[in-house]
Amino acid sequence: MTNDLLLLIFNADFLFSLIRITAPILFAALGAVIAEKAGVVNIGLEGIMMISALFGVMFAYWTQLWWVGVLGALVVGVLLALMIGFFAFELKTNIILAGIAVNMLGAGGTIFLLSMLTGMKGNTGALVTRELLIPTINIPLIKSIPVLGQVLSGHAVLTYLAFLFVWLMWVLLYKTPLGLNIRAVGENPDAATSIGVSVQKIQYIAIALSGAMAGLGGAFMSMYYSQGWNSGMVAGRGFIALAATAMGRGEPVGTMLSSLLFGLAQALRTKVSGIQGVSSYLVSVIPYLVTIIGLVAYAISIKNKLKKRSPASKGA
Amino acid sequence: MSSDRRLLLFNLLRGAAAIFLALLVATALIFLSSKEPLTALKYLLLGPVISFKSTGMVFNTVSFLTILAAMTPTIFSGLAVCVMFSASQFNLGGEGVIMLGGFVGALLGIYLKLNTGLHQVVCILAAAVVGGLVMLIPALLKVKLGASEMVTSLMMNYIIMFIILHFLNFTFADRSKGATQSFPFEATAKIPEIVSNGTKLTWGLVIALIFVVIIALFMYRTKWGYAIRMVGINQSFAQYSGIQVGMIIVLSQVIGGMLSGIGGSIEMLGRYNTFLWRELPGYGWIGITVAILAKNNPIFVPLAALFIAYLDKGCQLMSINSDVPFEMIDIIQAAIFLFFAAEQFLAKYRQRIVVRNAQRDLALQEAAVSREGKLS
Repeated sequence: MTNDLLLLIFNADFLFSLIRITAPILFAALGAVIAEKAGVVNIGLEGIMMISALFGVMFAYWTQLWWVGVLGALVVGVLLALMIGFFAFELKTNIILAGIAVNMLGAGGTIFLLSMLTGMKGNTGALVTRELLIPTINIPLIKSIPVLGQVLSGHAVLTYLAFLFVWLMWVLLYKTPLGLNIRAVGENPDAATSIGVSVQKIQYIAIALSGAMAGLGGAFMSMYYSQGWNSGMVAGRGFIALAATAMGRGEPVGTMLSSLLFGLAQALRTKVSGIQGVSSYLVSVIPYLVTIIGLVAYAISIKNKLKKRSPASKGA
Repeated sequence: MSSDRRLLLFNLLRGAAAIFLALLVATALIFLSSKEPLTALKYLLLGPVISFKSTGMVFNTVSFLTILAAMTPTIFSGLAVCVMFSASQFNLGGEGVIMLGGFVGALLGIYLKLNTGLHQVVCILAAAVVGGLVMLIPALLKVKLGASEMVTSLMMNYIIMFIILHFLNFTFADRSKGATQSFPFEATAKIPEIVSNGTKLTWGLVIALIFVVIIALFMYRTKWGYAIRMVGINQSFAQYSGIQVGMIIVLSQVIGGMLSGIGGSIEMLGRYNTFLWRELPGYGWIGITVAILAKNNPIFVPLAALFIAYLDKGCQLMSINSDVPFEMIDIIQAAIFLFFAAEQFLAKYRQRIVVRNAQRDLALQEAAVSREGKLS
């Protein structure tokens, strides 16, 4: 049994699917990273993914161009995030509540919208043809390397983009003036204000970028991963992304690692639930359990570090 | 006194404006999407309490009682959210704990043999204890390790759901039935109807209303309730004034868990005969809407729950009798959420009231001072 399991897991196919499964979580998690760096909680990632996913399919269908779908999803993601920002910053709605409102729109509003736009119930069915899916790329040289090629080549454009964004996000946060401002606003808004940084403007920018990431994650889900939109599609990935970010200490690279861990748990679930005699329900618990354990482990490590740094101070 | 009343009046009007705005959004969407917008609106707004007959419109008592019955679980989830949000604990685990409370209540209702009366009490108490214990997890992780209760409670919802489904499928399933469900509850465990007319309006609603009073007294008449509200308003201030903040954070979430557990078990034993929830029941999220409508004040929870139950029924009827889908309810709820919780919504007017009151108070004060001056 253990041998079978190891064989099932450590092969090129599995690692390929690990990357594929991680990508949407990573997009949303990067969205959570940029928001958190600016001191903004974006719990609406889940809803943004759902709505963007639907619009991605619709835009692609209307124009018969996949990249218009992806761009449309991105724009819708930004607009929704700005809406959360508007209610939170201008009208002083608690930002967690504003996010939950967007999640409600994502859960029911999408079904309403779909039925309004197309008359379809609960999924986009045959709207998405093969040509409208996000295309995959074979990387010329890597493709021909035996195992590595199978794992790394042949992914969707957006999969590569997700991992590229990890680096871009790091550059943005640590190598640009905007990133410096974002971090300043997140760490100490008063200090940022005192040196003439507009906290609100920076937070708007951050949440807009956060929405863009979630929008791309949504497009990935409907236009590649599940090949069409359906109402149970995002399945908590937006929430998982929040957990992955907390576990990754809000840093791009750390968040990528925790997203991979989460993808691993989910890929395992798919594999293991195929085995006879294993309860698919209990296997489904793994990703969520891993998240809580990860959060706890991280929190303990932080605590120990703090203790080491200042032996005099006692834990709260 | 009159200044307070004016602010209260303002708050009520502002709430009404938010609800009006949400319904306006709904109306606009109905007119945009429906071929029969007037029929849709009629069923959405009036359908829940009025039946349309060829002879005219009649008050529909049965439908009204069904709405009252639907309030029961959301009163509990609303109260739970009130307590937790009052302490600024954004614990979103009500959803899972309600399902768990229903499951615990169901199992004890099936396998325990007790006299009626005692049986229900044992089921409900067990669900309360389990609910409270489960909420200890996010609460303690928050207090001891600083892990966000929001994230852990969200993850817990899924864990609870899958574990329940596992046991429902592999241990407690009634294999003689086509669908996955448990064996039926003992008659002794069922929560009886107030009027036996099929509306499923049970004594659960009465219990819910009693809990409204208990929680209202707890929040506004005990030092624990005061401490919970203080922690919510200003945690550092609460700490400096000697409140054990960590303990209060745990307390608020455990109470939230107990209320959710009770709500789940009462809903299950009142309106069902077997356990057949295959997914999270959704009452936890509705509880958040209810708490927002009630402004975290337990006394207003029944009113808010009534409103949501009415709206839910209206949307059901609308989707049956017209071409507008039921999911409209989520859009209305989201709009209410955004505007109702918006502190700055219509804030200019509040500002004006506050300024006017302050000016009047100042004038009165000056008058009093000058009078005193004359006297001496």
